Amino acid sequence: MSLLVEKFKEVAKTLTPVVILVMVLCFTIVDVETDILVRFLVCSILLLIGLAIFLWGVDLSMDPIGEYMSTEVATSRSPIKVAVLSFLLGFLITVAEPDLLILGNQIEDASGGTLPASLIVGVVSVGVGVMISLAVFRLLKSNPPYNVFMAVTYTVIFLLALFVSEEFLAISFDASGATTGALTTPFVLALSLGLSKVKGGKTQEEDAFGLVGAMSAGPILAIMLLSIISGQKNIQGTAEAFVPTEGIIKPILNTFPTILLESLVALLPIAALFFIYNLAKFKIPKKELGSITKALLITLVGLAIFLTAVNSGFMEMGRMIGMQIGDMSPWVLILIGFILGFIIVLVEPAVHVLGEQIEEVTSGHIPVKIIKTTLSIGVGTAIALSMVRIVVPEVKLWYFLLPGFLIAIILSFVVDPIFVGIAYDAGGVASGPMTATFILAFAQGAADVVPTANVLVDGFGVIAMVAMAPVFSIMVLGTLFKHKRVALPEVGVKAKMPSTFMKEQHVQHDAIMVVVNRGFADKVVDVARDVGATGATIMHGRGSGPHEQKLPLLNVELQPEKEIVMLITITDVTTNVANGLMANPQLVDDGEIVVFVSGYAAMVKTIPHEADEVVDGVVELEVLKD
Amino acid sequence: MMTRMSISFRAKLKIKRGVLVIDTLFFTIVNRGKANAILREAKDCGATGGTILLGEGTVQSKLLDKLGLNETHKEILMVAGSEELCEKLHERISTHFDFSKRNNGIAFSIPFKRWQLQDSVQKENVLLEDANITHYCIITIIDKGRSEECVKSAKDAGARGGTIIHGHGAGVPTDYYFPLVIEPQKEIVLILTPKDIYKTVASRIHNDLELDKLGNGIIFALPVIKSSGLVEDRQEERKGASI
Repeated sequence: MSLLVEKFKEVAKTLTPVVILVMVLCFTIVDVETDILVRFLVCSILLLIGLAIFLWGVDLSMDPIGEYMSTEVATSRSPIKVAVLSFLLGFLITVAEPDLLILGNQIEDASGGTLPASLIVGVVSVGVGVMISLAVFRLLKSNPPYNVFMAVTYTVIFLLALFVSEEFLAISFDASGATTGALTTPFVLALSLGLSKVKGGKTQEEDAFGLVGAMSAGPILAIMLLSIISGQKNIQGTAEAFVPTEGIIKPILNTFPTILLESLVALLPIAALFFIYNLAKFKIPKKELGSITKALLITLVGLAIFLTAVNSGFMEMGRMIGMQIGDMSPWVLILIGFILGFIIVLVEPAVHVLGEQIEEVTSGHIPVKIIKTTLSIGVGTAIALSMVRIVVPEVKLWYFLLPGFLIAIILSFVVDPIFVGIAYDAGGVASGPMTATFILAFAQGAADVVPTANVLVDGFGVIAMVAMAPVFSIMVLGTLFKHKRVALPEVGVKAKMPSTFMKEQHVQHDAIMVVVNRGFADKVVDVARDVGATGATIMHGRGSGPHEQKLPLLNVELQPEKEIVMLITITDVTTNVANGLMANPQLVDDGEIVVFVSGYAAMVKTIPHEADEVVDGVVELEVLKD
Repeated sequence: MMTRMSISFRAKLKIKRGVLVIDTLFFTIVNRGKANAILREAKDCGATGGTILLGEGTVQSKLLDKLGLNETHKEILMVAGSEELCEKLHERISTHFDFSKRNNGIAFSIPFKRWQLQDSVQKENVLLEDANITHYCIITIIDKGRSEECVKSAKDAGARGGTIIHGHGAGVPTDYYFPLVIEPQKEIVLILTPKDIYKTVASRIHNDLELDKLGNGIIFALPVIKSSGLVEDRQEERKGASI
């Protein structure tokens, strides 16, 4: 089964509930014109195709690009270069984001021209650049810890919020939602993953997350500062009157070219930067470069199809449902809001990407299913509360935002560091294109028919809620997930390899496989080197023993993470190495070490050479026959 | 030199003849998400536990390969156990998960000794009759990004495909601005070949990837004593069915 088929299955699984819910609503309480209904169905199929292709392209293009770029960032020898390059990355991906330009135009209109759209886009991009730059420095230095970093960031945000009107509070969060678009989020996730890999070490796992969270704080800070400095407090303006389009295929065809162009513009800066660096620095082999280029094109096509489907089919459907349910009892509105939020967030492209990254980084130790369910509950609640806000005008946005973030920040000092990163990332990830169109349209529709609601303000507030809820809910999950963590061993200075071994000729080798708890691999290598082993290769996995650990409340088995160390040793030292490992009390008690030795097996011979700094010996295969 | 070594080694083996209790590691390679189910099944059979690794597989189709669709996600499950347990696992798992069908997964066993402190190599040196070995599992450890090359030359030499696991070498401190410990990213390629061609495959990889050059990587082979779900196994089954 190829990757593409997998993606199709994955998207279909998340999209089906949405389609079913909309259909059920359409045939029972909501009365929708046939055109919109049929177009919605057509667009659902387009969305399935587009999103599957897009995710597949992202896998094959963004991951390698992120990895190359992050290696470039991390391995530079001057701090200025690190700062400039990471700022540039953040700035470039944001400045081309089409959603941000739309938002800029809206603000320009609403402020009567005092805040031009280009200024908004520029300021937000600088904000993102600065935040990415700071976060990269923090990551590479491992100081301050991520939870402290984010706590400080949000404290600043809330201090600034005191001087900002509610409209601008909502808009600033919306700007953050607009920058974490379908393309930027996967790229920044890949960048984070790449950096963590280059940096390695004990914090590798938690370093793979958090960059998206840091980045999404940038626009909030930028817009708030802009509002304070420019003195712009209020925005007036009304949302455009809603006129449903007619026809089924025509609106889709009309939207496609514009969206394709927008997607191209959004993709261009990342691609350009990558190709320039490739010419100057990476010089990737032609074949790999070819497949990355191909994957970029696939990403572009997928993104365009996906966004077209969302904009021309889902947006109006959301609006219609919102308008009609808004007329009914508030309880129905709140309930439908919850269900919509619950299932829609899973169709969000970046959620798939984040899920995959979590699986990849923790080797399946943190079940992606639980993360997604938590995300669903969080976003569902956020939408439900937003509906409450629409129905009851006295309830202000910060009633939810302040305590939500406050509790999240407090919890961030309690939970496992990896959950802190995932939680802040999830906030940016959840507020993607599906929320910005379908959910927003639904909320605006409801606000339209509720006389006390303000379409513009309430609409913006929804995205702020969606950005906050996952941070909160995943932190809560993290407190449940907390489990026994043993202190990791101190690893001494890496022992130098005895050079004599490499000079020996024609020696028999054994393969030793060592399975230990996560974090002990370095210790294993250390001990093994002390008693005469040479190189080692480390892999990550998860394990399951006779005693199963279950997650409290949910009936999910926790499989502890393991590291597998593969050692090739000369037969003479095999006994020493194996005994040495088994005799180390720390490895036995805390590392739960298991050592496997192939007695007969790896009969390999070394070719004589005089290296003493190379980790892997060069060996040639030679098995005895006859 | 080499011949002398071989003779002496074989002599050593001869002395130890008669020790036939073999511990094995039972490997299963399946699509992502299925390993947990198999591990549960294995525990039902009496296994105490297992370790799961994430990896990537290769696709047979040339067309898909051209399109760049040549990546599939896999999980590799390792279960340790006695030989009898492995026999049982092969039977249970390959019928339960239908390994006789293409692309449903493969399983194989490699003799490994679970180490106890009192052991020594001499004591546990396991004896394997040549006849017991059906396949070899060739393991190549190379720098990240070269696995495709490795699988390609293996295929050229007659192998069917390979499974790639990502790993990293032990750390080397560097002199960048940030105090990073660079852990060189590695790819571990598992290739299962019938025993009659494994030498060709291995030396082909060795030559094509220039593994004789310093630091380019290492290659070795482990004997496989039982397998299910491989192309050869299916052919045998089909033959058996037609008779």
